Amino acid sequence: MRSTFHGLETARRSLFTQTAALYTTGHNVANANTTGYSRQIVNMTASQSMEAYGLIRSTVPGQMGSGVEFTSITRVREKFLDDQYRNENKSFGDYSIRQDTLEKLETIVNEPSESGVRTVIANFFNAWSELSKSPENADGRKIVREQALALTDALNHTAKQLSDLKNDLTENVDIRAGEINSRLHGIAQLNRSIAKLEGLGDNANDLRDQRDQLADELSKMINITVTEQSDGYKIDMGGTELVAGFDEPAPVTGETLTDAVASGDLNSGEVYGMILSRDTYVQGYINDLDRLANTLANGDIEVTLPKGSVIPEGTTLTNSDGSTTLYSGSVSSRTLSGDTKVVLKGLNALHQLGYNTSSTPTGLPFFTNADGSTGTITAASITLNKQIADNPTKISASMRVNDDGTLIEGNNSLSVLFSQARDMRFNFGSAGDPNLNTVDAYFRSIAGQLGVQSEEAIRQMNNSKGLVDQIDGRRQSVSGVSLDEEMSNMIKFQHAYNAAARNMTMIDEMLDKVINGMGVVGR
Amino acid sequence: MGIRVTQSMMNTQLLRNVSSNLGRMNDLQNQLSTGRRINKPSDDPVGLTFSMRYRSEIDANDQYVKNTDSATSMLDFTDTTLGQAGDVLQRLRELAVKGATGAQPQEAYDAINLEVKELYNQLVEIGNSKFNGKYVFNGEQTQTAPYPGTKIDDATGKMAYEVTTDAGQTQYELGPGVTLGANLTGVEIFGNPTDADNVFLVVKQVSDALKDGNYNKVSDLIGSIDTRLGTLLEKRAEVGARTNRLALVSDRLTQTGVNLKSIQSKTEDADMAEVITNLKTEENVYQASLSAGAKLISPSLVDFLK
Repeated sequence: MRSTFHGLETARRSLFTQTAALYTTGHNVANANTTGYSRQIVNMTASQSMEAYGLIRSTVPGQMGSGVEFTSITRVREKFLDDQYRNENKSFGDYSIRQDTLEKLETIVNEPSESGVRTVIANFFNAWSELSKSPENADGRKIVREQALALTDALNHTAKQLSDLKNDLTENVDIRAGEINSRLHGIAQLNRSIAKLEGLGDNANDLRDQRDQLADELSKMINITVTEQSDGYKIDMGGTELVAGFDEPAPVTGETLTDAVASGDLNSGEVYGMILSRDTYVQGYINDLDRLANTLANGDIEVTLPKGSVIPEGTTLTNSDGSTTLYSGSVSSRTLSGDTKVVLKGLNALHQLGYNTSSTPTGLPFFTNADGSTGTITAASITLNKQIADNPTKISASMRVNDDGTLIEGNNSLSVLFSQARDMRFNFGSAGDPNLNTVDAYFRSIAGQLGVQSEEAIRQMNNSKGLVDQIDGRRQSVSGVSLDEEMSNMIKFQHAYNAAARNMTMIDEMLDKVINGMGVVGR
Repeated sequence: MGIRVTQSMMNTQLLRNVSSNLGRMNDLQNQLSTGRRINKPSDDPVGLTFSMRYRSEIDANDQYVKNTDSATSMLDFTDTTLGQAGDVLQRLRELAVKGATGAQPQEAYDAINLEVKELYNQLVEIGNSKFNGKYVFNGEQTQTAPYPGTKIDDATGKMAYEVTTDAGQTQYELGPGVTLGANLTGVEIFGNPTDADNVFLVVKQVSDALKDGNYNKVSDLIGSIDTRLGTLLEKRAEVGARTNRLALVSDRLTQTGVNLKSIQSKTEDADMAEVITNLKTEENVYQASLSAGAKLISPSLVDFLK
């Protein structure tokens, strides 16, 4: 048996439900531009009918409905797309950092140009050629000094820029560690809040959106896997658990992240890109440049010493067949009777075979480290031997002396050899694993390799960016707020609301008739 | 299921397209303003290595051109000097012919001898010629005068005809592994101390013979003058040949320089017509994407509901 006011109740439920739908539409529209927001829908269902099944029932036919109610408000989201997004986002993060670092390296290498290392190398050899034309003069020596200083300055400067870039990357890893920690902290907090709310039977839609947003952000920085458990998100980086449930996560640091790269747990994302860029690309170029500097000064070269050269007293030279010859005694016994092929330890050894115009004409090592040592020379500390820099008359050009040991100033054999060293192949490898190249070709190969790496990183970054954009588009397609859709929904709900209100008015009028209009016949 | 499209998706898409379009325009602008296709290694890594090599080769080539010019001026100077020495010897020969005539008073021989002695001094001066601050005829001993600057009558020290000059040759770099010695040494031109026709010795002997009025001896010496003149001519021809070789080298270096620059330009330089055309195309696309964006982004159903 239905109640007199049944119709009023039905209309009331409708009004309430359509209102809820309209409010949710409003919420959607309001968050149309909120990052990470997924649209929400009110799930309506016809409310339980008047008469439940049972033994006692009225004789009224049919089953009388009792209107509408909403059972839940849910967000529209596809978990599969979230997983895909996070999976691609880490590659994008990785390659965008690599590309960025390589672009910076390209700026540092500064080729092709007339102001890079290649130019100072060419100028250095040209200065020797210029000196060879007037080996007795001071001006040619000063040019050699200036060009040698320009060369070492360029190497020092490039090495400094590289070590700055390396330090920047280390600093950025630390900054990212802080950002990761704040997100992990946020996720643990949200895990708690969501559990509290949902324990009461609600859907914590907006909090879930926020938590997913934090996970999205994390996925660009490091490789994560997200598992939803009863106590919330568990986030792992490879085999390392970062956060699980309500417990406050243990903070990550630059060191733990570097260790995670070594153990293989951290293998993608921006942080990985930074550590890889630092340890592989930047360190690689530092090593290459160091090798360039050291080989120029100390690397093996095969040189043909011209006939008539006087080898300085007490010098032991390595012949091309590996045997050694000690030159000692009178000038004539140290004079080469024919062109002699020897293997020398770089321009330093070559320079020591010459004589200069100073009062003590013995050749000095040409390049030294900043502290004056000549052992292993690095790009950061290579410099022109201080004695030479202070006094360019100590630059040797001649390889001949008179019988009494005095210099023959017009001889230019050494300066010609120095100039010809531009086309000599230095051993950039080791004795057992030779890598013979001219200085110019070696530097060229460094720049070329950088170009290939950078080109590759740009391609990879564009690819992964395309994928991330595509998947994000798919996600937006599912979860994004469409204003057109919300507007048409709004009209739909508004009409339903209006109709329910009209229905209520009609029932009101009907009851008015029953209550106030009936039983007054003939009055 | 058709794809659901939302306003923010269109926004994102538009922004992405416009920004990638701007990125391409930026690259083209860069090419246009530098005139170069390769502005950083990643623009074309292979092209970059070629471009760097061409640049280094051009730098080296420029230096070889300078060296060739220096060697040429050195040889030109030598040639001029040899010309002067030749003139002196010609004059000596004329005087010797006069002095070889018998039945003259001793005063006549003495008069001739005066000039012969001056010729000796002039030859010493020529032997001690300096070019760019260097003694040219003393091999690599460029800071030491080869022939003591003494006159014929000074008996102190070494006489010019007793001198062996340094045999070294200053090598000029004309190319990778190519060198040329440009200087001639004193003994090559004026003769060894052992040579019978050592120019200083011959002049001294002529002078001594004239002093003694020994015209027969003077006559005998004319032969030595002639052989030395022949040697001088030979040396001048050699200098000429070397100058010719240098001219050829210089031509080749110039040609190589031009070739290298053109090949460098082909590797590095942007094809302007192509760049401008592409830039115009990109500009059109940019305009189109902006105007399409303006049409698509603003309206939604909101604008049409009253």
